[in-house]
Amino acid sequence: MFRRFSTVSRHFNAGKSNFTSITQSEKEHFQQLASTWWDSHGSQRILHKMNILRMDFISDNVRSHIKVNADAETDDEKLFIPGWNHENILPKEISNQINKELDDATWNMYKEMKLQCLDIGCGGGLLSESLARLPNVEKVTGIDMTPEVIEVANQHKLLDPMLSNKLEYKLTSLDDIPNSNKYDIVTCMEMLEHVDYPAIVLDKALSHVKPGGYFFLSTINRDLVSWFTTIFMGEHILKIVPLGTHTFSKYIKESEIRAFVNTLKNEFEIIDSKGCAYLPAVGWFYTPSSNIGNYMMALKRKEVVEPVVLVKEEAK
Amino acid sequence: MFRRYLSSTARNWNSAVTTTNDIVIIGGGPAGLSLASAIKTSPILKDLKCTLIEGNKLIDSLESYYNNPPEYIDKRVVSITPTSMDFLKKIGGWDYVKHDRIETYDNIHTYDSISGAKMEFDSPELATMIENINIQSMLYQNIKRANNESTENELILLDNTKVIKIEEDPHSEWPILELSNGNKIKTRLLIGCDGYNSPVRKFAQIESRGWSYNRWGNVATCKYRDNEIRLSTGWQRFLTTGTLALLPLPNNWCSLVWSVPPEISNILNKLNDEQFKFMINAAAKLSEGELKYLYQIADNDSDKLIDEIKWRLEIFNNKPTNNSEDYPLEIEFIVPNSRAKFPLKLSNADSYIEDRIALVGDAAHTTNPLAGQGLNMGQADVKSLVETLEKSYMRGLDIGSKIALEPYWSDRYLPNHVMLGIVDKIHKIYSTDFTPIVWARSFGVNVLNNVPFIKDFMVQQISHKD
Ligand SMILES: Cc1cc2nc3c(=O)[nH]c(=O)nc-3n(C[C@H](O)[C@H](O)[C@H](O)COP(=O)(O)OP(=O)(O)OC[C@H]3O[C@@H](n4cnc5c(N)ncnc54)[C@H](O)[C@@H]3O)c2cc1C
Ligand SMILES: C[S@@+](CC[C@H](N)C(=O)[O-])C[C@H]1O[C@@H](n2cnc3c(N)ncnc32)[C@H](O)[C@@H]1O
Repeated sequence: MFRRFSTVSRHFNAGKSNFTSITQSEKEHFQQLASTWWDSHGSQRILHKMNILRMDFISDNVRSHIKVNADAETDDEKLFIPGWNHENILPKEISNQINKELDDATWNMYKEMKLQCLDIGCGGGLLSESLARLPNVEKVTGIDMTPEVIEVANQHKLLDPMLSNKLEYKLTSLDDIPNSNKYDIVTCMEMLEHVDYPAIVLDKALSHVKPGGYFFLSTINRDLVSWFTTIFMGEHILKIVPLGTHTFSKYIKESEIRAFVNTLKNEFEIIDSKGCAYLPAVGWFYTPSSNIGNYMMALKRKEVVEPVVLVKEEAK
Repeated sequence: MFRRYLSSTARNWNSAVTTTNDIVIIGGGPAGLSLASAIKTSPILKDLKCTLIEGNKLIDSLESYYNNPPEYIDKRVVSITPTSMDFLKKIGGWDYVKHDRIETYDNIHTYDSISGAKMEFDSPELATMIENINIQSMLYQNIKRANNESTENELILLDNTKVIKIEEDPHSEWPILELSNGNKIKTRLLIGCDGYNSPVRKFAQIESRGWSYNRWGNVATCKYRDNEIRLSTGWQRFLTTGTLALLPLPNNWCSLVWSVPPEISNILNKLNDEQFKFMINAAAKLSEGELKYLYQIADNDSDKLIDEIKWRLEIFNNKPTNNSEDYPLEIEFIVPNSRAKFPLKLSNADSYIEDRIALVGDAAHTTNPLAGQGLNMGQADVKSLVETLEKSYMRGLDIGSKIALEPYWSDRYLPNHVMLGIVDKIHKIYSTDFTPIVWARSFGVNVLNNVPFIKDFMVQQISHKD
């Protein structure tokens, strides 16, 4: 009954655009949602609140990979980085000062990053707009295949003058993005569970990540908890998620993505993976397990492709 | 969407907009200036385009205070908690404080007029008395310094400029302000630090609920008789007509806050400084019955007032059971023109945020100055709002959107509400002379005094310590 998230699909002929295209029923569903997309205090509140946690997830991962002393040529230029427990050893004022200098240095490097981003299945643009407002982002391209949501995204973008030069939407399939377009950050949020061939979409999406760049996804595990919280409670009982948003059989287990990325481990590593959940009075929060319910994952492309260690699939 | 035109949409609204800002702050009081200073010193927010607009002529008076501090302490003096002081240090303002004009004290003597029940609050560094203008002046100096450090994106401070109209861009729904100098500013986020009549709150159609106490707060800067040196102590006497508070300032000066009903306030207003001084000394010591009689004399026969009070105080002071340590020193001098009065009210806005709007300080809530919390609540608001803005900015949210401002609201509304409730309850318990309640009240206070845990809780609330 469940579709396997086949690792073999990496070797599909990615040239066939229909594998990454949207299905008619999904398109119709999102058409209907388009007009309420930005209603942060109505039917789309959960997605708006989720966007906050996703942005934390993205920026925490990017920030934690900044190497403060990477450009220092002499020791004098280097910032002192004390041991991990310096807060316990040094006087409070000094450790505060060190923390502040490290924060400032990280922040200054962060601000200067000038990242290029691709947001796949951008919908009305919640994540695209947020990315575009970040001081370390130079340009965001949001793509989607539902014309109505792209229209909404374009309209909403006009409300904020700071977005006009940083954000661009395209009604296009992933396949129509030229192979040569590479990005520092590629995102695929709440989208893989809506496509028929997630492995192909994922594979294609990863091909657009620059060396050293990041890929972020958020989606839902195929388990009883997910069915219960998102479909049964969310759509039918609490009615806080629009009816028909989810199709259980399309949910993808975290372990399936993990196994897939493993086949690419000379190129990509999973740097973070976190479960998350929503409670009406609390908002979204991280859970201890990424194997249950909603989860987010961060992948980083290695700077250089490591030599391929041939593992024969058949032999396993 | 929900609102809201203070007046009809101006024609040609767009062509006349001169600038677009990320943040506009209305109000250069303690709340507005701390907010501006905190934004300018935040590594994350400092490059936002930000303007502060103040209706009064502020800059000249703050410069002149800083460069040539006046001889006498100003009548608007507030009590700040260690938490507020730490915040002012963190945002850099405290570097420019006039140290010789502030007084820190750790003890408040509280006593009441009917039962003699006493309560002493004791805590390390309970509070610091400081002039409102000392706070404004240090913050202004700090903003100047921050502006000099990053000249490419200065915080603009427009004083002597009133916001005369606020309307909404019909397309983006961003607020557009019309200023008395003819300019128009459009802004992503409008922050009302514009005091208890807040035009911003009215524009956002946020209801403010509360009540007036039918009491006037009378303030003055006074000097104690110099014949005795005492440790800095605050004095509060709960009278059935309201509270009399004498809070310490440097060199045996003190700040009076005396709340009275309108009838008595009218009588006090007619007195000259000398008579008023005697009235304070009477109110600090004499019985309610005597005071009632003295108000009558003050009203009808004020020439006799001073002699009458002298005579009664002499009897009081010579009574062996009256220990002078239990009462404040008598007032010897009142700074000319330092007397003022203001209505006491308590209010809390239904919300501190709307799309594109945040309210801070007295614009969001007012309290009676009894517990000296008005300014401190505003400082806590500023701290929370700045943290919210930093977080939202880092998350790429539109910092003017309601969803981005929500953490500020959920962080501040409840604590302010609790604090207003406590202040209100203290006021209500202490402003009655209905005997059973007075008994309960003194019982309550005596209990408070003997159960350290309850007292500690109240001290903690008043000094915001945790
Ligand atoms: C006489 C008096 C005595 C007080 N005594 C005490 C005390 O002893 N202890 C205590 O804790 N608290 C006291 N308070 C309260 C305390 O002063 C306030 O809590 C504190 O000042 C609030 O600061 P704020 O910045 O929120 O508002 P405010 O200080 O009221 O500042 C608001 C500012 O906004 C400006 N403004 C308003 N509308 C416009 C407009 N349309 N355009 C441009 N500018 C505008 C005003 O000019 C003003 O400068 C007293 C208040 C008064 C009036
Ligand atoms: C649940 S929405 C998520 C939108 C956005 N990423 C967010 O999280 O805010 C899923 C979006 O994916 C889009 N989508 C679904 N299948 C797609 C496909 N094959 N190619 C491009 N977009 C697709 C839909 O049109 C819809 O806007």
